[in-house]
Amino acid sequence: MSTKYVGEKVTKVDACKKVTGEAKYTEDLVNDFSDLLHIRVLRTPHPHAYLREINLEPAREVAGVVEVFTAADFPELKEFGLIIKDQPVLVGIDQKMRYLGDALALVVAETDAAALQGRDRIELEIEELEVVDNPLRSMEQGCIQIHEDHEIEVTHYLDPEMCCDNILSDNYLDKGDVEKGFAEADLIVEREYQTQFVEQLPLQVEKGIADYDEESGEIIIWAASQWLHDTQADIAQAMGISKDKIRIKQPVIGGAFGKKEDISVHIHLALAARELKRPVQLIYNREESMIAQSKRHPQIIRHKTGVSSEGKLTAWQTKMIMDTGAYASSGPAVVRNAMFHCTGPYQVPNVRAACYAVYTNNTYCGAMRGFGATQMAFAYDSQMDVIARELEIDPADFRMRNAYQPGSTTPGGEKLELGVNVRETIARARRLSGWQEGDNNA
Amino acid sequence: MKNSQRNVSSRPKASGSDFEAEKENTQELGREVPVGSADYLAPETLNKALEYRSRYGYKAVVIAGGTDVMVDYFEGLTEVSSWLDLTKIAALKEMKFGPEEIRLGSMVTHLKLATDPRVGENLPLLAEAASEMGSWQIQSRGTLGGNIVTSSPAGDTLAPLLAYQARFVLGSVSGQREVAAEDFFTGPKENVMNQDELLLEVMIPVSRERTLSRWKKVGKRKAVIISSLTMALLLELDEKDVITGARAAYGAVAPTPLRAEEVENYLAGKSLSEVSAERAGELAAREISPITDIRGTVAYRRQVTRDITVEALLDMQQG
Amino acid sequence: MKITFTINNEERSLEVSSHQRLLDIIRKDLGLTAAKEGCGKGECGACTVLFNGEPVASCLVLAPQADGAEILTVEGLLSREGELHPLQQAFLDAGAVQCGFCIPGSIMTGYRLLQDNPEPEREEVCQALAGNICRCTGYQKIVDAIQLAARRMQAGGDSS
Repeated sequence: MSTKYVGEKVTKVDACKKVTGEAKYTEDLVNDFSDLLHIRVLRTPHPHAYLREINLEPAREVAGVVEVFTAADFPELKEFGLIIKDQPVLVGIDQKMRYLGDALALVVAETDAAALQGRDRIELEIEELEVVDNPLRSMEQGCIQIHEDHEIEVTHYLDPEMCCDNILSDNYLDKGDVEKGFAEADLIVEREYQTQFVEQLPLQVEKGIADYDEESGEIIIWAASQWLHDTQADIAQAMGISKDKIRIKQPVIGGAFGKKEDISVHIHLALAARELKRPVQLIYNREESMIAQSKRHPQIIRHKTGVSSEGKLTAWQTKMIMDTGAYASSGPAVVRNAMFHCTGPYQVPNVRAACYAVYTNNTYCGAMRGFGATQMAFAYDSQMDVIARELEIDPADFRMRNAYQPGSTTPGGEKLELGVNVRETIARARRLSGWQEGDNNA
Repeated sequence: MKNSQRNVSSRPKASGSDFEAEKENTQELGREVPVGSADYLAPETLNKALEYRSRYGYKAVVIAGGTDVMVDYFEGLTEVSSWLDLTKIAALKEMKFGPEEIRLGSMVTHLKLATDPRVGENLPLLAEAASEMGSWQIQSRGTLGGNIVTSSPAGDTLAPLLAYQARFVLGSVSGQREVAAEDFFTGPKENVMNQDELLLEVMIPVSRERTLSRWKKVGKRKAVIISSLTMALLLELDEKDVITGARAAYGAVAPTPLRAEEVENYLAGKSLSEVSAERAGELAAREISPITDIRGTVAYRRQVTRDITVEALLDMQQG
Repeated sequence: MKITFTINNEERSLEVSSHQRLLDIIRKDLGLTAAKEGCGKGECGACTVLFNGEPVASCLVLAPQADGAEILTVEGLLSREGELHPLQQAFLDAGAVQCGFCIPGSIMTGYRLLQDNPEPEREEVCQALAGNICRCTGYQKIVDAIQLAARRMQAGGDSS
């Protein structure tokens, strides 16, 4: 085995060009095109409404506006999405807008200023619907269905009363016998925790350039993506063309942190470049990036934990409801990942969990560093503190008593053998933080 | 492939005929349109600036450091038909430290206030407030005058200026007038200035007494943050440590920066060591009229106003 | 209107309009693309350049305001022979570069800091960098890099 790199400090291969400023990010490539057109996207004025009419004439009258595209121009378009194809490229007449980031029209102009001006002149008529901004409302009987046109399969075996119309994905796990575990417990603690939307905020927002090669019929896209081949495949299926007609050239990426797993500028760019046979650019501003692209999922987490008077966890039951926003994105995967982390790095013999990803009219949520586990971490470690206080045990000690060690099994039944470092981590954290044993106030 | 057509020039034009006349004149002379053309006025003298101000008023957007106005017009710079840039007027960047009063030009930057030792020595509240404003990048450009004229209740220099009993010199072609800092602000982002006026300088009387002062900025981060609240507390003391004058000024706790008179009345005349910091804190919390917004709730602002007032007074007592 | 300024020790005259920003003319008209736009509101510091010797957010400077100014960007730090500035080398050696988007701005702030303060304390570096956001959160190594450069420049007597 080579010892040249393992354990040695290596300089990133692209670091030098980043300190000199030579590294080319998408926006640095715009100077390479002399006849670049500029796109601005008209997004929805309301988070839940039917689009009834759209008047593009005032935009077309703006000097410099080359073309305005809507769904009517592309009847062949299909919906897209990382796991479930539920997100429209453009919302058409009599179709539904489901959050403030849905695209209604693409304004293409010779200058960005003209595209902006054109975008702001488009006139709309919409029919407003109830806005569902809370996943608990989504799960109530009689709540308006957000995706009435999508068949979502839900297993739905715990609560027969539950309304599944807005549930994107439900997940269950059972390990041991949770009822027996609670019966053995000397103390049962039940608490609810809530987390909020978090913006990944890569320093570089979503930006892209596309060009069309008339000879080969290829669309070339320069834009950041965390899943290059999935993005290529999704663009192709949404446009109904072969994958080999989509070529993505990945420039240097200015951070992503999960936010650039989803499609953003790509399909809009591809459509405009192909239709106009000219290179086009689409550059979001920070607000647009925040409104239109994914977030970390807010979760409502209810933990019920049984513990013996010696401070040994006997049972853990979790119910989690996750607001996935208007579209699925990575939601079905994030909710599962969160569920399997419900007890954190603590050994519990009896676990039951039910976790739901629920549609609302909020900005859709997707991947972000930790992928669902981060929210759970806040909840299980808060729960551990609450229990330690009730038992009057030092919280670091309490964690140590229950921490995974080689041979422990996770809620999913996985047996841990190698790389189980929780105890070392707790010991080190205790040392580095200056935590005094028995100090429950800090 | 056709060439790009430039349509940027379709931006709104100034309606005032003077603009057109000025533009035509320069073109007739066949010169390059210099900096200071109709849509971008950059006078080098104060008189010229005041003349533009009287001629164009609000039609020309005044720009100093640009750290607020450029944010306001983000993506909408084309909507500004003309700018009046003050950065070339050297006279507005001066600072004079006299025996009776200190005069700070409106175009003095926050960086200057934060780093000039004369400001630190004579006006520590202002120096500290400036040093905690935004970031180095913002302090390099942002100006004292800009902070005052923007008149945000959260403007960081405003509580210190109230505590120092500053007076603002407003100028127009027809003359100058002075307005006390306390009377200048009339509401959030509103003040008494007329559209033909410019803020020229800030006058601060030099205190004859020994003074103690404490500045506190509270925000969600340590830097690059709009304040949730600010406090500038200043005490004048005689040789026996009796408080002869007290000024307690707060920002972001009311529609305008304000002085808490009840706190000041309570403190005045008492010996510093006899003052109850708790009592002063409670008076302060009662006297402010905060709102709940993204930077804090009413309850939070009252609590923190109380706490920082108490903390500052205890700190002063411990000397 | 025409403005004249010095950028990276070169005098340039440019036709600019009153609705361009300094960042736009540096990146588009001059093709110096090291400075980046992260927010357009002076919050993130990715567009930091030195303007008359001080760091500024070039997204908040109106282009005509650059008339007569002296501007320095990361492109201007290389030596005539094309060698990296000690600060750039230190960013490489300290592993301070991740996605790289904040780096040109952070280097310019660091460069200005070392002019006044050739041996900054950690806390002073952090203070100086308050306006340069790194979302990869590589702050520790960026601070390391600036201190490493400071030590090397002191040792080598290089005060540039």
